[in-house]
Amino acid sequence: MTGSLFYFLTFLTLFAALGVVFSKNPVYSVLFLILTFFSLSGHYILLNAQFVAAVNIIVYAGAIMVLFLFVIMFLNLNMDTEQAQKKSVLTKVAGAISGGLLLVIMIAVLKDAEVGSYDPENFDSQIGLVENLGHLLFTKYLLPFELASVLFLVAMVGAVMLGKKETQQRHF
Amino acid sequence: MENLLWLVPALPFAGALILIITGTRLSRPLVSLIGVGSVGVSALLTLILGSQFLSAGPTEPVYQQVVWQWFSVEGFNPGIAFHLDALSMVFIFVITFVGFLIHLYSTAYMADDDGFARFFAYLNLFVGSMLVLVLADNLVLLYLGWEGVGLCSYLLIGFWYKEPANGYAARKAFIITRVGDTALAIGLFMLFQLFGTLHIQTIATEAPQTWAVGSQAATIIAFLLLGGAVGKSGQLPLQTWLPDAMAGPTPVSALIHAATMVTAGVYLITRMHVIFELAPTAMLTVAIIGAVTLLIAGCAALAQSDLKRVLAYSTISQIGYMFLALGVGAWSAGIFHFMIHAFFKALLFLSAGAIIISLHHEQNMFRMGGLRKLLPAVFWTFLIGSASLAALPLITAGFYSKDQILWYAMAGERGNTWLYLAGLLGAFITAIYTFRMVFITFYGAPKSHVTHPPGPIITVPLIILAVLSLLGGFIELPHNFGHVVLFSDFLTPLLPAIHANDALGTSEWIFQLVAAIISLSGVYLAYVFYLQKPALQANMEQSSLFRAVHRFWYSGWGFDKLYDTLFVRPYVFLARINKNDIIDKIYAALAAIAQVLNRSLAQTQSGILRWYMMGVVVGALLIITLSLLP
Amino acid sequence: MRLSDLYFLMPLLILVGAATLNMLVVAVKRNHKVIFGITIVAHLVAVFTLLQLNGSSYQIPPFFVMDGWGIFNLGLILLTSLFVTLLSYAYFEQREERKEEYYLLLILATLGACVLVISQHFMALFLGLEILSVALYSLIAYLRTRERSDEAGIKYLILAALSSAFLLFGMALVYAVTGTMSFPEIGVYLQSVSELPLLLLTGFGLMIVGIGFKLGIVPFHMWAPDVYEGAPAPVTAFIATVSKGGMMGLLIRFFSQADAYRYANLMLIFTIIAIASMLAGNLLALRQKNIKRLLAYSSIAHLGYILVAFLAGNRLGVEAVSFYLVAYFITSLGAFGVVALLSDTERDADQLEDYRGLFWRRPATAAVFTAMLLSLAGIPLTAGFVGKFYILASGVNTQQWLLVLMLVLNSVIGLYYYIKVIAAMFAQTKSVQERRKVLHPALSFASGGAMAILGLLLIWIGVYPTSLVQLIRGLLATFMTTF
Repeated sequence: MTGSLFYFLTFLTLFAALGVVFSKNPVYSVLFLILTFFSLSGHYILLNAQFVAAVNIIVYAGAIMVLFLFVIMFLNLNMDTEQAQKKSVLTKVAGAISGGLLLVIMIAVLKDAEVGSYDPENFDSQIGLVENLGHLLFTKYLLPFELASVLFLVAMVGAVMLGKKETQQRHF
Repeated sequence: MENLLWLVPALPFAGALILIITGTRLSRPLVSLIGVGSVGVSALLTLILGSQFLSAGPTEPVYQQVVWQWFSVEGFNPGIAFHLDALSMVFIFVITFVGFLIHLYSTAYMADDDGFARFFAYLNLFVGSMLVLVLADNLVLLYLGWEGVGLCSYLLIGFWYKEPANGYAARKAFIITRVGDTALAIGLFMLFQLFGTLHIQTIATEAPQTWAVGSQAATIIAFLLLGGAVGKSGQLPLQTWLPDAMAGPTPVSALIHAATMVTAGVYLITRMHVIFELAPTAMLTVAIIGAVTLLIAGCAALAQSDLKRVLAYSTISQIGYMFLALGVGAWSAGIFHFMIHAFFKALLFLSAGAIIISLHHEQNMFRMGGLRKLLPAVFWTFLIGSASLAALPLITAGFYSKDQILWYAMAGERGNTWLYLAGLLGAFITAIYTFRMVFITFYGAPKSHVTHPPGPIITVPLIILAVLSLLGGFIELPHNFGHVVLFSDFLTPLLPAIHANDALGTSEWIFQLVAAIISLSGVYLAYVFYLQKPALQANMEQSSLFRAVHRFWYSGWGFDKLYDTLFVRPYVFLARINKNDIIDKIYAALAAIAQVLNRSLAQTQSGILRWYMMGVVVGALLIITLSLLP
Repeated sequence: MRLSDLYFLMPLLILVGAATLNMLVVAVKRNHKVIFGITIVAHLVAVFTLLQLNGSSYQIPPFFVMDGWGIFNLGLILLTSLFVTLLSYAYFEQREERKEEYYLLLILATLGACVLVISQHFMALFLGLEILSVALYSLIAYLRTRERSDEAGIKYLILAALSSAFLLFGMALVYAVTGTMSFPEIGVYLQSVSELPLLLLTGFGLMIVGIGFKLGIVPFHMWAPDVYEGAPAPVTAFIATVSKGGMMGLLIRFFSQADAYRYANLMLIFTIIAIASMLAGNLLALRQKNIKRLLAYSSIAHLGYILVAFLAGNRLGVEAVSFYLVAYFITSLGAFGVVALLSDTERDADQLEDYRGLFWRRPATAAVFTAMLLSLAGIPLTAGFVGKFYILASGVNTQQWLLVLMLVLNSVIGLYYYIKVIAAMFAQTKSVQERRKVLHPALSFASGGAMAILGLLLIWIGVYPTSLVQLIRGLLATFMTTF
């Protein structure tokens, strides 16, 4: 049951991810992205990481994606502007070849890789719950946790700084 | 005090630096103060160091000072370290002291020259480089000083560069000495390959353990070093640059082309005497080169009409004596003659300079005459210098130093009769050309006017040097005559003493007597020819043989012409064939390849983001592939 | 967490505190001088606290380690950042508004680099890297109104995100195989296996992509010229020095703690990267007319040189890397400092034409720039020469003849374009008068002083490198025991 669910979710994730890349309309891309996030959250639940799954949906699929949609609709990026940009055939072919080769080689590597398995006897099903996670974050991983806050500070300052209107600015 | 050793070469360098940077903006008195003062303080320091050195006695005859350790990586630690022993002590004494006097003299001599500051900058640079040369504890540093003095010589010969002939002379000096420098450089490479170091003391201790006497490596290296020495010291076959080098201002000729730089070859051979002693063939060659050079240059000096060219050929000839001394293993005699020669030859050049400037840059002796009355101070000093050069017995320093060389050329272990006879003949010729010069210049009827009588700044250095030329010999007197051995004792811990042939031991006074008679008869001959019976000379000039010999000697034995046909013309011919520079094509092709690569690589920097991302992906692909290689 | 951990992390805490303080001051009243002052003081205090730590190794398990190598890199980064700050004041004083956030971002970027060099755990590594990267995104695009600024920022953002993805994937694979994220434990795992699993090798390979991007080495170098050109000159100096140096510090720590030098494949990858970087950097710079792009290419080549020493993989190699980093930092700061000094309100002085005849207009600036370029070219009596010699010695010491040969060859190629710039500076021009508006001299005091110090340091290290070598050897003593 879990196995077939995993394959289904994986297929869905890959399909949606490819959809993000290949769809011409940016709105479709964003919608495909939301689908990707949802199916990823499904993976998290399968991995017994319920908290991460929930956060993923709330933050990414909820907040960020809505913002993306707003921006895209705001800027009115339609197909015309996209096609106005020229892409040489060479770039396309070279890109396809290099990307394809990377895919092939990654498959070749991961195909028969041995991944460490878990021990069902000592497995703690509660590991992904918010209580355990919080406990870890505020004890053992306190330092990285605080560093992450600095990271957000940087991102915030940068975003505000770049987004602020400047007097001499022409338009945006 | 010995910690101040580094100041001795550093001060002239500092002076040169200041003068180069700010030279034209300073007033002339200030330039003189910096130029003369820096060398003066160096000379003072040298005197203090020297007195300490003497009082320290034979127990501690060496000062080592590491001035600057650059870095030390994997056993390779370049730096600047000075090594002061008795040999370098003699040299730095002569360089700074004579150098100081010549600097002082130059302030008057060059007073009206436009390039006053430039002159002193070069001169200071020269003194600094020469001090580095003799103080270096490492052959690389020695080579640096060696090239530094070569550069300064080039700059100063061509000092009046607006005259094309001077520039030509400068280039000639530079190129010909370069031949010797190349040999020296190859010698240094070989030494480094064999010993893994160029530290002089290390080589000196390791060489006898590595090589047997007469071994091939020692001989080759000794010959290469000799090549460098021959080029720098104007010995056969690379002597042709020195007479032309007289194109420079006279103080330069006195300092560089008489007293100091040209004796660098003598220093080099003495410094590396351990290697030469392991190569008897090379030693013999040194002696033969010295003997032949002193004869050839002496004859050439007989035929010259330019006062400075006579002195130039005489310098070549006197250095020939030093080489002869070194070649027979009479190390301390060679160095002793170097010191005495520095005194009297500097004196002669400076006196000649005083005459030349008094007569408004007249250098031809045959247009002088009768200057004895007009320039009495210069006459007396010039006479003393000439007496020393001609080795007039007993009273002059030149007699004692030259006598020692002649004695060891005969009685030394490596000496033989032929070398002795060459030296003796040379002494005879020396006496003739010296007094020919004196009689033509100072006696007879005046042929020109004295326009600038020399001032005290010019005469004082002359007098000091004259005193030294007379008294300097008394620190080293022959065994049978006073037996003062201060100088050779001073050098003994460093340079092996020479043993005279016992069979000749008792007859030393005969040889001295012969030498004295020879030099006196030379003077008399010159007196007869040039003063008493000038008609005799006129008669001789009638014969075509005499004229031919005269022309031959005047041109310095035709070496210039020989080299012109042997080397210069073929070279020019080759250069003409290679007008389009075939070898350069290789480099042009390399540059073109770089350009092509640059163009094709520049295509990748298109500024297109997709392209860059693809670069990252391809890079990842390559790296993963490589990491999976078995 | 122990209390003593805080003591050892004091330099980092001070930086965070300064950033917060700056933010509060900006909120109350914008004043360029005050913010500048706070930033300078913060750097000085951080360096001071760093000096209080002794060189012995202190672990903050499992994330950080404060050993000699970390202290050396921290000191280097903090001092470099201090010089960038000094150079920034005059540069930003010419701008109309929004000068203050710059310092905030600069401090935090410095913090990111500091975290990077003392981390011994993937988690700390990644956080440090991201703090550095995110700060740099906005720093690069800081002068938004300029033509190339946005473009550079976006390019850096996308490519850095891409490379971070590779890095993360690589770390995930390594974790999947070894079950640990801390470097020493990875080392223990590597000791236990005779043959490396395929997955681990792939993980390392993917990590190299992320590391290589930050180092700006071939084939991940393409962003460098565009970003260097678009970013403000002081930020360019920061990218060329702190960002690359931090990553280099991390790379060496990872390789020595995990003892990854043993694997021929990884060494082969870095050998190829090093050769390609040297060649590509120097060849691309040959005909470049834009000084900032030229310096970008030159920095690609210099990272290639550093990799030669890195590949030696022994004590001498790490010494050489340390020495070269110092020399390269001083030189880069000096070179970009000159660019910053000559820039005006409109654009940076990045065209070769801006430097034509500079010597006759501003002899002191031209002299410093000449010294910096000569050092980059590796001319004796500059720090660059001793550094390059050190690298050669380490290459010869481990018999990497190919690398040594390429290093020498590339030094020759490099000489051409450095000399080209110098020649331009000494060229006589007809228009002798200063084309640009000159700042008030008091304003450029900080920049001028900084440049003078850099010039003197360059010569001092070039002439008397022993003191720096002693310092490095002393600090490495505790680090190298882990070899």
